[in-house]
Amino acid sequence: QETASLISDRLSITGDTRLIAEGNVEVFFQGRSLRASRIIYDQAADRLLIEGPIVLTETGGDTLILASQADLAADLSEGLLTSARMVLNQQLQLAANEIQRIDGRYTALNSVVASSCKVCASHPVPLWEIRAARVVHDQEERQLYFDHAQFRLAGVPVFYIPRLRMPDPSLDRATGFLQPKLRTTSLLGTGLKLPYFIALGENRDLTVTPYITTKGGRSVELRYRQAFRTGQIDVTGATSRDDILPGESRGYLFATGQFALPENYRLDLKLQAVSDPAYLLDYGISDTDRLDSRITIDRTRRNEYISGRVISFQSLRDDEDNNTLPSVVADLTFHRRFSLGPLGGEGGLRLQTHNHWRSSSDPLDGPDDDLIADGRDLSRISARLDWRRSFLLPGGVEAVLLGEASGDIYSVGQDATYSGNYSRSHTAAGVELRWPLVKATGTGAMHVIEPIAQLVWADSDNNGIPNEDSTLLEFDEGNLFSLNRFPGSDAVEQGRRANIGMIWTRYDPRGWSMALTMGRIYRERDYGQFGPASGLAGETSDWLAGVNFTLPQGYSLAARATFDGDFELSKAEGRLSLNRDKLALAASMLWVEADPLFENRPTPTREFSFDASWKASQQLTTRLVGSYDFEGGRGTLAGLGLEYRTDCIAVDLSLSRRFTSSTNVTPTTDFGLSFELIGINGKGAAGPSRRCS
Amino acid sequence: QEAKIAFGGLAQDTSLPVEVQADSLSVNNADGTAIFAGNVLVGQGEMKLSAASVKVEYATDGKAIARLHASGGVTIANLADAAEAQEAVYTIDSGTIVLTGDVLLTQGPSALSGQKLTINLKDGTGVMEGRVSTVFVPGGN
Amino acid sequence: CGFTPAYAPGGAATRLMGSVRVADPSDKNGFDFVERIEERLGRTEERLYDLAYTIRTDSVGVGLTTDQRITRYNLTGVIDYTLTDAQTGARITGGQVQSFTSYAATGSTVAGLAAEESAAYRLMRLLADQIVARLIAEAAKLP
Repeated sequence: QETASLISDRLSITGDTRLIAEGNVEVFFQGRSLRASRIIYDQAADRLLIEGPIVLTETGGDTLILASQADLAADLSEGLLTSARMVLNQQLQLAANEIQRIDGRYTALNSVVASSCKVCASHPVPLWEIRAARVVHDQEERQLYFDHAQFRLAGVPVFYIPRLRMPDPSLDRATGFLQPKLRTTSLLGTGLKLPYFIALGENRDLTVTPYITTKGGRSVELRYRQAFRTGQIDVTGATSRDDILPGESRGYLFATGQFALPENYRLDLKLQAVSDPAYLLDYGISDTDRLDSRITIDRTRRNEYISGRVISFQSLRDDEDNNTLPSVVADLTFHRRFSLGPLGGEGGLRLQTHNHWRSSSDPLDGPDDDLIADGRDLSRISARLDWRRSFLLPGGVEAVLLGEASGDIYSVGQDATYSGNYSRSHTAAGVELRWPLVKATGTGAMHVIEPIAQLVWADSDNNGIPNEDSTLLEFDEGNLFSLNRFPGSDAVEQGRRANIGMIWTRYDPRGWSMALTMGRIYRERDYGQFGPASGLAGETSDWLAGVNFTLPQGYSLAARATFDGDFELSKAEGRLSLNRDKLALAASMLWVEADPLFENRPTPTREFSFDASWKASQQLTTRLVGSYDFEGGRGTLAGLGLEYRTDCIAVDLSLSRRFTSSTNVTPTTDFGLSFELIGINGKGAAGPSRRCS
Repeated sequence: QEAKIAFGGLAQDTSLPVEVQADSLSVNNADGTAIFAGNVLVGQGEMKLSAASVKVEYATDGKAIARLHASGGVTIANLADAAEAQEAVYTIDSGTIVLTGDVLLTQGPSALSGQKLTINLKDGTGVMEGRVSTVFVPGGN
Repeated sequence: CGFTPAYAPGGAATRLMGSVRVADPSDKNGFDFVERIEERLGRTEERLYDLAYTIRTDSVGVGLTTDQRITRYNLTGVIDYTLTDAQTGARITGGQVQSFTSYAATGSTVAGLAAEESAAYRLMRLLADQIVARLIAEAAKLP
């Protein structure tokens, strides 16, 4: 049979059948171990009479029982421990005057106090505790059954439950209640969300969250997740009735899925649907104003990118009518890169088809916000070949020959002015000269100054193709030296031009680093291709200035601006981020000129927003969020968050005020409070415990 | 076997005669001691003691043996119990044997090991000390 | 004033040309990043160094109007890179580059989609250029 081993400092063999072990006594049997100060092993009765302090550790170390006395069977499987404490998963402690071990599986405790809070001599009352007449712990099922349980907060009885079942904290996927959340909003009133998690086997689970509010809000949110051998899906949805839209059943459905396909293709699924535009904001689910459902199959290799996708858009904006917006888009892209053997250099071929449809079939432009025929449908086939080769000239100049040739065939339908087929071929060629100069300073910092000049020849005919996908232009360090700055295919950059610029990089691996970029575009003729706010308009474009700072203590700043000859800003934006151990901050600033014609922005945008969190103490983290619209002259969003997390409780408090309003979106204040009993019903990580003063 | 009382096997009538066999014997009259060497076997009733060498100390009257001092690896057997150690000192009149140095006491399926074992033959009790390790079978014997 | 041409004959940075193998991409961002690195440092002819990278991007809504329209997004990007010796695998240099590009969301859905993808394309090229500038700066360290 299995042998048990007992180790001690001294062992007396008495005349009768008893062994008395004293001093650091340890007993090991089938993975269970017991430590005590004194054990009497009565061989005839096969019992162990143990004197404390006793520490009994179950196999796997998840359950620990501390006691002062015990009378147990020799194999530690059953018996009685007195004035004992049981510790589950180093988190939840159950103290009882008596713990009974029953055939190696159950542990029964009488008159129990259960809590995961650190109890100090100076203030013995734990922050929260559950008192129960009797608790049974089933070690195999890892469940805890409470009889006559009473929940106390700081010693004050809060509620009473005759019978309570709860998963033992070491159980990862157990059916049961998750962390409740209290949420108060000016629209829905005060409500409680009580999620109930149902584990459906190893790879599936369902979370049901009823949400009842004082102002007649009744909704149920369901979240279903399933893992397959080659992928997974995650579906979240809710149905609600409330007084905001009385008599209407509202709701939303968000679903995502990822699957691995053969030949290492990848399938991505995304579905977003909502019953009415304001629902997502009213229930604090998301602040997106355009829903985007898509199916994508793609594969990426070193020299090849293949992607096929179908996207369906649904706008939630006031001034947009989904019938006159391209609501379904289908694209197919094949991009191959290769080296040109004897010619040298690097080439690329991209083939693409694009189709989008509008559900309206009215060939004229109705009262909607854009100037495009309401029913216009469009399909396009494009091919683009690009090539570049670089040479190192004496004196350290890198000369690059580059070129691009593209051919597009368009077919436009349901559009009084533009219906018909179009074709366009476009070529552009250029020479790029780079002259990087390096200098190392004594302090280990390195400087690189790189003047760059690019001369580009391109033909100038857009063949009357209506421009729909290339109206939103940007001018930044990413396309200062690009042959075609239009984002889409409907327009191509025409005419001869010179892109001139200089990049100064200071790099110190240990210290601070900086990159400064300045550049401008000189065109032979102004083809009126660009809007004023893009910074690219005119025979000479605006100046582009971009700066990028990284400081070792966790600061980083990136900013850029475009301004004309006499420093008249057309666009400026910047992002600052700070990551210190106590303070984290992300701030962004935006200043953009009005551009009603091209970018559909009738008024300038001037906005500052920030998101800061500060660790006030070991346990308390505060968070502040805000954004202010200078143009509108008032804040658009403000938020305060507090998280208090100790070893046994996590309290999250959030208060946010959204000032935006439109016909179906009203300003709301959203107050959220959630608390979690760590070690009981949630997998929240325990925070540092308070020190006993 | 009649109902054995565990460890009772250590009880021993210390008044029985002691016989000693060995390959060689050397006597030292100055301090009244004799040294048996080579496969020494000491017997007293049921109890047997074997060792590489045993030094016998006689009582002051020169006739009775006061103490046996066995060394070089000692084994003591008494019916079902057996004990091994590097050295053992058996004081006859007090009836105590003190074994020291990697002591191992086996009794049926149970085995005890430690650094020092003091057995009181009169009441069959024993005390093992020095990080004692005991292996027993719960529910066994 | 102490500046010397990086690509002067025998200059340290010339050893970068055609000798850096950037790791295979796993998504479109990686594909565009590898394309730009190979444009600047040439496709690998003699593999002396390996460039490993991890790309993290995040889209943040800015330009929130008073009628709850998100008119603009910042696409923030951070790339951690490491240059190692292809034979010994020993680390030569490495670090982190960060920046952002933006795209407007005021036009039609098709315009927004093209602007978003163009922002990602530009961000990858911009960050690749920052890494190349740092590799040129530290070219003296190349074994």
